[in-house]
Amino acid sequence: MIKKTTIVAFAGLLAGTALPGIANATVTVLGWPGGSEEAALRAATDVYNETAREDDKVELIFFSRDGFFDKLQADLAAGSDAFDINLIATYSIGRYAPYMEPIDLGDDAETVFGKAVLETMQYEGRQYGVPTDLSLHFMYYRTDLLDALLGDEDARAEYSKIAEEYLGKPMAPKPADEWTWDDWAATALYFTKSINRASPVRYGTVLQMKNLLFNMMVFQSLPRSDGADWRDAEGNITIDSEGYRKGLALYKTLYDAGATPKDSLSYEYAETNAAFAAGQVATALQWNAAAGELTDPEKTPAVAEVTGVVAPPAGPNGRADHIHGLGLGLNKNAKNKEGALRFLQWLATEDAALLYAENGGSPALMPDVVAKIADDRPDLVDLGNFASRYGYVMDGGTSANALSIYEVQAREFTGYWSGQQSLDEALANTEAEMRDLLNP
Amino acid sequence: MQLVNRGEGRLFLSPLVIFLLLFLGFPAIVNLVYSISTVTFETLRAPELSGYGNYLDVLSDRYFWQASWFSLRFGIITALAECLIGLFLAIFLNPLLGKRPYLMAPLMLPLMVAPAMVGLMYRLVLHEFAGPVPYYLWMWFGDSPAFLDADNAFRTLVVIETLQWTPFAFLLFHTAYSAIPSDVREAAALDGARGWTLLTKIELPLIKPTLIIAFFIRFIDGFRVFDNIYALTGAGAGGSTTSLSIYIYQAFFKQGAIGKAVAASVVLFIASLVVLYALTALGSRRKEKTR
Repeated sequence: MIKKTTIVAFAGLLAGTALPGIANATVTVLGWPGGSEEAALRAATDVYNETAREDDKVELIFFSRDGFFDKLQADLAAGSDAFDINLIATYSIGRYAPYMEPIDLGDDAETVFGKAVLETMQYEGRQYGVPTDLSLHFMYYRTDLLDALLGDEDARAEYSKIAEEYLGKPMAPKPADEWTWDDWAATALYFTKSINRASPVRYGTVLQMKNLLFNMMVFQSLPRSDGADWRDAEGNITIDSEGYRKGLALYKTLYDAGATPKDSLSYEYAETNAAFAAGQVATALQWNAAAGELTDPEKTPAVAEVTGVVAPPAGPNGRADHIHGLGLGLNKNAKNKEGALRFLQWLATEDAALLYAENGGSPALMPDVVAKIADDRPDLVDLGNFASRYGYVMDGGTSANALSIYEVQAREFTGYWSGQQSLDEALANTEAEMRDLLNP
Repeated sequence: MQLVNRGEGRLFLSPLVIFLLLFLGFPAIVNLVYSISTVTFETLRAPELSGYGNYLDVLSDRYFWQASWFSLRFGIITALAECLIGLFLAIFLNPLLGKRPYLMAPLMLPLMVAPAMVGLMYRLVLHEFAGPVPYYLWMWFGDSPAFLDADNAFRTLVVIETLQWTPFAFLLFHTAYSAIPSDVREAAALDGARGWTLLTKIELPLIKPTLIIAFFIRFIDGFRVFDNIYALTGAGAGGSTTSLSIYIYQAFFKQGAIGKAVAASVVLFIASLVVLYALTALGSRRKEKTR
């Protein structure tokens, strides 16, 4: 009896230790949490799992969005095998490449994404990920409000008066796709209720000004369109430039004038979306990922039908649109590398990319591929157009410390916008830290 | 009577000593080494000794002092507010809770929510367009303060922290206040002590140790605050709501300055020790005076 009990207990113990092994035979994917990327990845994974082999089934895990890259770095550096596939971004490839495995996506991947988009996931000539989402920024605006402004002589006179008072020159309203940054600022001031009592909305714009690195990415296109960059050809830091000074000052002018909610200093993606969706804001410079939500009558009934999308406004050097790619790559310590690679290669096929796009993701696809879903996802057509015509990456923007540089800018620039330090101090502090981070 | 000889005493103490050496001593030594080293994520196992540069970096960093000042102010103000409100509630609600003790449970509910969740919750609650508080303020008064702008963020964070943790102070004070023997109150009443006199001359002195303990627990928690502030404001505009914990987190992860982050935590540890010893010395002197 004792012997039988012992055998049963031993078998139970063995089963208990074996079960996790079976569970680990699946492919675990650490994705980008909380937005359209998560929804699209979930949908694509469900379809993949319907036909995948039992030991190739994909499981998804997500951290919180806050501090995602920091936690990912700690996990990768510690040699974690808790996930086989992890998120990768253009700005973090150099940082994570030592802990990841280069992959071969096959020849067809180029016909789906194109060479340039595949390169957003390459480091030192090797492919480290499938480019699932390309990110840039759209200028969202209320077509009904702008049409009314353009068609009303009294409103145009009031607009000109407000522009002269706040921006120092009389201006005439223009269609959104002809905006310079000054036109956008004048429009934002005109539609601010505390400045123009006749405005049908409370604020002219909604700025993302939280001390957060992603918010700095949104801001960069303003100085960039004025020729600003992080470094010159000799490697000198050029953050203290006319372009940055004008851009930073324009944000502060709008904030101080009340053209954006005072709480904007705590706003990021979600808060900006909520403000625009509430129907109380005339314009918003926001990530392209928001297009699906802001133009969907079911999700945003108050403004979806009257939301227009154009590229960010122009500066003296034309338009500029900050781009970077998100993707999925292979963890060097993956337990199931073969299964993980099969999933990544599937994600790089046309069918999977279209499925991903149909479910809210933002892959940058070749014109003949995106044409197949242009009716459902017109924003993806804009995405490809804007990326190819206005897309840029700052000099140093792919360095191992690129994210830290955005962090420094976030702290110093928000300090200026909130009135805690002068523009000179903010730029001097940023320059000093960028010098260490870019030229260690 | 001596229960054990010295050898047995050492034997019984040895598990505790081994435990402390393993789980506190080893990490402390590793951290001390990191604090005087050049170290990155890649060289965690082989740091290069580089002297006291990390300490100089920390002590010359204005953001370190800004974070220290924030943590100190936040810790003192929230601990005071929580203790005062908790004490008031403990005394005010004591008769009611004596008859209906089950009312304690709902009063403790804020303690059950994780601080990070509190931060996320208030991001929604206070949002000008999505949140109920600004919505009703706009509806009733035609305007709403910006709860998280540079001027109001500190006050808002203090109120949120106080709302969440006052129940903790209240719980301690209620327990201590209820435990005062009734014969002490009766004796005081016979001597003519009532109301304010009874409270300040008899009851408060009796629960003074609990008051001090509650204040220091809440001060320490407030001083090292992280989750809810990080979820609500990040590090604040220009680092204005950066606590010391957030400062260390940012130095460690966001800048990859591991040596600097560890040096900052060592400075923090030494400062805490100084405060602790000062308090212990103060307590000993008072005891001697009362003998």
